[in-house]
Amino acid sequence: MKFGVPSRLKGRKWILATIGVPILAVAWWVFRPEKLWTNATVNEPSPFLESTDPQPLYTGLLVGAAHKASGRASIYGAADGKQYLRLTDFTTLNGPDVHVLLGRSDDQSLRQDVATGRLDSVELGPLKGNAGDQTYNLPASVDFDRYNTVLIYCERFHVVFGAAKLERF
Amino acid sequence: MMRKMIQILALTVVLLALGTRASVYATNRADHENSGVAVETGEFHGKVHKTSGRATIYQAKDGKLVLRLTHFATSNGPNLRVVLVAAADADDDANFLKTNTERVDLGALKGNQGDQNYEVPAGTDLGKFKTVSIFCERFNANFGAAPLQKL
Repeated sequence: MKFGVPSRLKGRKWILATIGVPILAVAWWVFRPEKLWTNATVNEPSPFLESTDPQPLYTGLLVGAAHKASGRASIYGAADGKQYLRLTDFTTLNGPDVHVLLGRSDDQSLRQDVATGRLDSVELGPLKGNAGDQTYNLPASVDFDRYNTVLIYCERFHVVFGAAKLERF
Repeated sequence: MMRKMIQILALTVVLLALGTRASVYATNRADHENSGVAVETGEFHGKVHKTSGRATIYQAKDGKLVLRLTHFATSNGPNLRVVLVAAADADDDANFLKTNTERVDLGALKGNQGDQNYEVPAGTDLGKFKTVSIFCERFNANFGAAPLQKL
């Protein structure tokens, strides 16, 4: 009566409070609406930070261009700072003078069927085999922000067999 | 009376929200193993609940498997779990209960953003459980999935 509420409403308010509050609480627990605007950020270190084995730094799946090519290209970094490229599950067409290069995904000459030969790239050597797992040494300090694509490239005819855009690990 | 109830309720919600946030910042450091190699990797996709990042399975010398999420981000939600599912991939609207998809639970999602590690139970057949899913158990909703491929 303190609030001057008519007595017939007083009972109803209590019912509202005793039913409504638990319902609200349960609804909150189920939907957790506050999670819409709160983030839970974690930053755990790699469990293998002190690993002596080479760790993957970048990886990408090969996509065929002029010819069929498939598999995975990954860049590994060893504990001594050496880096190398590894092709796994790799297969493409055999061809003349095929090389492995690191190129740029935004290179205009890659848009054409026959790359004009002015490819901005890092040469990694002739392709060792047109199928199977293989490893290539990388020169020191390659800028992977610039050379972000592995290319299987026929030097003789300037044809890209396949390309793998590298993504960070 | 009613107003007081609402005030108390509002205060509880705010306190709990702050509590969950604070507890997550107390991040747990995973045990450091000496040596391990990445054996499988895949990228997250998810449109309904925007999910992105990379999932990688590492194998230690002693055979122990660890799942690591990097550059990871998804939307926060209630009761999120990290699961391995016996499927080549999972659609955005996948419901693993309805389809009776076999699952291996790796635990509660530690955070909706950032790098994080999860132990994979010994003896898990990676040839069978090929996809990582961020799974909302309460609503059987797949927030995002990463199909794993050999590295």
